[in-house]
Amino acid sequence: MSALYLRRRITNAAAMTLSMLATLVGLAFLAWILWETLRQGIGALDLKLFTKVTAYGEDGGLLNSMVGSLIINFIGIAIATPIGVLAGTWLAEYADRTRLGESIRFLNDILLSAPSIVMGLFVYTIIVLPSTALTHGSTTFSGFAGGVALALIALPVIVRTTDEMLRLVPSTLREAALSLGVPQWKLTLQILIRAARSGIITGVLLALARISGETAPLLFTAFGNNYMALNPIDKMSSLPQIIYQYANDPGEAMHALAWAGAFVVTMFVLLLSLASRLILFRTKVSHD
Amino acid sequence: MTDSALAMSSAPETAAATVAPKLAVRDLHFYYDGFQALKGINMDIPEKQVTAIIGPSGCGKSTLLRVFNRIYAIYPKLEAKGRILLDDEDILGPGYSLNRLRSKVGMVFQKPVPFPMTIFENVAYGIRHHEKLSKADMEKRVEQALRSAALWDEVKDKLKQNALGLSGGQQQRLCIARAIALKPEVLLLDEPTSALDPIATGRIEQLVEELKSQFTIVIVTHNMQQAARVSDLTAFMYLGELIEFDRTERIFTKPGKKQTEDYITGRFG
Amino acid sequence: MPAIEASIMSTDILEQRSRRDARNERLFRWLLKGCALIVLASLLGAAGATLWGGRDAFGTFGWHFLVSSEWDPGNDVYGALVPVYGTIATSFIALLIAVPISFGIAVYLSEVAPAWMRTPVASAIELLAGIPSIIYGMWGLFIFAPFFADHVKPWLTSNLGNKPDDGKLSWVAGHVPFVGKLFGSDYPFGASILVAGIVLAIMIIPFISSVMREVFQTVPTRLKESAYALGSSTWEVSWDIVLPYTRSAVIGGIFLGLGRALGETMAVTFVLGNAMHLSASLLDPGASIASTIANQFSEAAGLQKSALMALAFLLFVVTFVVLLIARLMLRRLASKEGR
Repeated sequence: MSALYLRRRITNAAAMTLSMLATLVGLAFLAWILWETLRQGIGALDLKLFTKVTAYGEDGGLLNSMVGSLIINFIGIAIATPIGVLAGTWLAEYADRTRLGESIRFLNDILLSAPSIVMGLFVYTIIVLPSTALTHGSTTFSGFAGGVALALIALPVIVRTTDEMLRLVPSTLREAALSLGVPQWKLTLQILIRAARSGIITGVLLALARISGETAPLLFTAFGNNYMALNPIDKMSSLPQIIYQYANDPGEAMHALAWAGAFVVTMFVLLLSLASRLILFRTKVSHD
Repeated sequence: MTDSALAMSSAPETAAATVAPKLAVRDLHFYYDGFQALKGINMDIPEKQVTAIIGPSGCGKSTLLRVFNRIYAIYPKLEAKGRILLDDEDILGPGYSLNRLRSKVGMVFQKPVPFPMTIFENVAYGIRHHEKLSKADMEKRVEQALRSAALWDEVKDKLKQNALGLSGGQQQRLCIARAIALKPEVLLLDEPTSALDPIATGRIEQLVEELKSQFTIVIVTHNMQQAARVSDLTAFMYLGELIEFDRTERIFTKPGKKQTEDYITGRFG
Repeated sequence: MPAIEASIMSTDILEQRSRRDARNERLFRWLLKGCALIVLASLLGAAGATLWGGRDAFGTFGWHFLVSSEWDPGNDVYGALVPVYGTIATSFIALLIAVPISFGIAVYLSEVAPAWMRTPVASAIELLAGIPSIIYGMWGLFIFAPFFADHVKPWLTSNLGNKPDDGKLSWVAGHVPFVGKLFGSDYPFGASILVAGIVLAIMIIPFISSVMREVFQTVPTRLKESAYALGSSTWEVSWDIVLPYTRSAVIGGIFLGLGRALGETMAVTFVLGNAMHLSASLLDPGASIASTIANQFSEAAGLQKSALMALAFLLFVVTFVVLLIARLMLRRLASKEGR
């Protein structure tokens, strides 16, 4: 009996130690990756990053890529937010427990983790190829196409959070408004979406964080550009794309620029996810 | 409960024998996805009086109230059969629009549910949907409603603040102001004080007393003392049936039914 | 108190407004539904576009496309086996590493760790999930792959592989089947299937562990308490009560991680070496579907472009099925809870 007892205690102690080790391993890799990004990135920080375009190569900066990233991300969010919020609203308010609603909610969850590179090829097929045909042959990659590709990646994130946040709104709020004779569409637009506002904003921020680091879908849509491009119908550089290009370059100086870009992207993404957490935390507190 | 029909036929005599009822319930049945929650309710609710509905939880009292403005219709698989006559017109009939019904029948819920907007907007919001008013008229109308709800003095200096900043009792009075701002004829109160402290509850009860000169009020409550304090008539429901409906003082002093007496004296429920 | 006079709105105006409301309501519903259908359209569109783009490759090579390891742009002959193998091998390695570690993290954070530690540590791990994959790729390329080549790979090749640096075959390589082949390599760099698998594992650990942690927290406290009351240890409660109760959702979480791993592009492309030939060794470079597309699509034309589209279609279908299974498994626990 006591031998059994001892064996059980040893098993337990071993398992608990292993679980702690697993957590330490996870945290260690997090620390390692963040540390290297910080170290290499800060080491490569330089004013010319923000003043010169990539056309100068080793002596250049990342200005056009940063501006391009902002424009492409903005297009992506500007397309995905209205569509995503309305689609999420439909799932939560109009199609809850209907067959089509459940199917779309389910497929949206799948889209959430679908390979982004395939989304890039999809947009390549529906936007880049037709516009190439229109312009008689010269391949027309564009910042706009990149924005659409990112919108497709941001869309399921926004749909999901809107859906979840609206379903958290107490049904008494719906009853109260409907009992005043307010029609459902007004109730939805003017009261429910407002009540779920901070949650929806969180979703948009999370979507922005998600797309700011996306590289694969931009390779065949926005493509890249060594000069400053502000018009969305032109080829456009972006930070992830330039990081990819420079990291694969044999030159050491290019690697430093890639690290600087990686640092900027990582900081941006971490700040966004921090901000979204804060917003969500603040609303939770004020509701209780 | 074979004699419940008897009790109901006797109700109009004692309750509102002389005047035509404001709300007349005729053989009302209600189903939740097949489950019968109300079984043949008949009831005459007189104008400008306070009618309380009491009974143990699950007896159907809230369900009945929620049929009066058809708020149940927003959920699938709920069904009401029978007639409810508001001024002799059947509100369950196909010709009665929700807009019309809800401009005539207002409702206040268990928990205060202010909209996520300013205090002023909370009251103005419902009015805007029904009437086009000038800015000055709207301000007058909002003030009027807030005064009627005995809230004006407390909020007149912070009309532009978010309504979520008010206390629970103030929020509930705001909800009452919101409902009466539409100038309804009937006001439904669904356990309006169950989420409030005793002081706030007292204020709401006093308000109900004041409002009955203008509105026909139906209040559902699980609190018998409250029913005794605020109502003119009391209906006792049990297991989806209307057991007894009479003047409040009669129900609480000389109930006609054994079940009512058991409930009033706290032997069950 | 000012009197509020009874409503005197005419029935006509009310009915008119009811009709207008009904019309607006219909329009609004159509708009919302249209937006929701875009979600559906983007899934179908992605599948359709890649299938359409890959039609030439499928038509030219037929079933041979799936089983051929030849990828020769010079002779315009393409087979998917190398990238398909690379995708499966890297994802499998990633799961092999990530699943036990994620399980450990989830158990630690839901059963073992002191309460004050749980939220911060869980948030930190979830932070890992937010880091863009290209950062993992760079870290893998510049930091981890060289580290691996210098410190881990020599040990693996000389102790387990069939091509040791000093020419002496180790006991394991000589006696245990397959192991020698898996770890034998002449190739001097770090980038390889194994390194790609490890980087992928680090990427998907936060996904799997946060799903596991979430579902572990859905186990009713009374269930755990009654087991503890019988004298069970923390480990026994985790293994005998929590895991069986949440089994379907745990499998769902694992498949979710697998779906991510299969479709991941950047983290893999940097550290896979991009060699279009088949090798049994995990320490040799390879290619995955996503990395092949990322590397070749911009310069490809004609049949090669079609072959890459066909690869994308395969990838999309496989990840779709994996993610479908994941969501179904996750839903099973949710329905058990009556949600």
